[in-house]
Amino acid sequence: MEDYIIEIENVSKTFAGGVEAVRGFSAKIRRQEVVVIMGPSGSGKSTLLRCINGLETAESGTIIVDGIPLDDDKRHRLEIRKEVGMVFQSFNLFPHLTALENVNLAQRRVRKKDKAVATQRSMELLQMVGIADKAHNYPAQLSGGQQQRVAIARALAMAPKVMLFDEPTSALDPEMINEVLDVMKTLARSGMTMVVVTHEMGFAREVSDWVIFMDEGQIVETGTPERIFEHPQEERTQRFLSQIL
Amino acid sequence: MNTNSASTVATLRKSKPWSFLFRSPGRDIAQFALLIVVGVWLISLSTARLGYYWQWYRLPRYLFRIEAGRLVVGDLIKGLLFTFRISGVSLVLALAVGLATALLRLSDSFMGRVLTRVYLEVIRNTPLLVQIYLLYFVIGPILGLGRFASAVLALSLFEGAYLSEIFRAGIVSLHKGQWEAAYSLGLSRFDTYRDVILPQALRRILPPLTGEVISLIKNTSLVGLVSLSDLALQARVIAADTFLTFEVWFATAAIYLAVTVPLSMIVYAMEKRFRVLT
Repeated sequence: MEDYIIEIENVSKTFAGGVEAVRGFSAKIRRQEVVVIMGPSGSGKSTLLRCINGLETAESGTIIVDGIPLDDDKRHRLEIRKEVGMVFQSFNLFPHLTALENVNLAQRRVRKKDKAVATQRSMELLQMVGIADKAHNYPAQLSGGQQQRVAIARALAMAPKVMLFDEPTSALDPEMINEVLDVMKTLARSGMTMVVVTHEMGFAREVSDWVIFMDEGQIVETGTPERIFEHPQEERTQRFLSQIL
Repeated sequence: MNTNSASTVATLRKSKPWSFLFRSPGRDIAQFALLIVVGVWLISLSTARLGYYWQWYRLPRYLFRIEAGRLVVGDLIKGLLFTFRISGVSLVLALAVGLATALLRLSDSFMGRVLTRVYLEVIRNTPLLVQIYLLYFVIGPILGLGRFASAVLALSLFEGAYLSEIFRAGIVSLHKGQWEAAYSLGLSRFDTYRDVILPQALRRILPPLTGEVISLIKNTSLVGLVSLSDLALQARVIAADTFLTFEVWFATAAIYLAVTVPLSMIVYAMEKRFRVLT
């Protein structure tokens, strides 16, 4: 039996109004794998990602994260959220808290650490993402790239087993994309399991184990980055790649 | 395009002397002085026509007086102190009711949403005066509430309804991403409200919240209906006893203003200080 950390089985999600965002999606992700999900906008990538930590509720299919089924049991959902970190396209830092307080919050409330212990850990994480000197700044005083790095540190503070990235560089100015990607690459090499929705092919080539290409809520094809980018089998994938290159 | 921007510049230049005059302090002071003069003239005109005989010198003893070498608080100030007390107690309760109602309205509970909706509609569509009477004469005796308690309850339920709408507006005005970020970190609903949502919402609703606090203070003037000796009732009694109608009511209005205006100013200062950077 293989050791999968995320098992997604035949998941579908339809939004009110009848938009089928995800249709019968299945995938299994091993520990320490880095998976990149690509696809045109509206293909259901983000929705799928948000289903994994229960921000969206799939109406059919099963999702199991680290052996915990994501079902109607609220405790299961909370447990999964503690194990799964998420980074958003629009950062979503808490604007009334400093960078340090943003990273501290979940450690204090969820992990019940006391302030000194949490702060020490937070400072290590801020150091790791390269903005320890901005620890006492508020999000509005940071650039987009800095904010996103704080957001990564905030998610890591829970010591998650999986990190989800929802287009983490799409809202950034071009010159800030690399500082965020570099942090993500370091994280990938440290053995973190990552599911990344992104259009950054360079990142996908460099660190991902495999790529899922999605369209209209379904998997079009999967494979190693080399195979997907050099020899895409499906016509839909070829068309998409020719558009973004 | 070119002609357009040229004409805009022309308009700006033309309007400049006017706006300059409008903002000059000299003009403001002149306007204010004019207002005072007109006001005084109107008052003296009306009192002359009514044949009103001003007796301001008789008023101070209802504020403070010296008896046997000691400072004694007059009835108006006693009334003011009572107004402070009932406003304070009602405010705390109204904030609790308002927040609870807002959270219940935003909760997943169907019964909670229905109940709060009914409560809001009933309170907002009946006069406070009727609510005070109903609580005092009907519900008070059933629950064994005294005069003060039933008045406090009436005021808190009334203001709570309006406060809940303000809380709700503040909460729903926050970006969905704030909830999602908090949930994705494993924070419970309670922690999310306490650490993420409410601190931000409170800063946003500070101005309308102040408005409601001031409104609450003014509405306490109705508790005299159930014979609670607040500022307004004391004023009514003194005016009836002494026939100093104008002096007493002018003084009373000034006392209310002396409380509410500084309150607005304090909150304005707080607002500037705690402005959320976004």
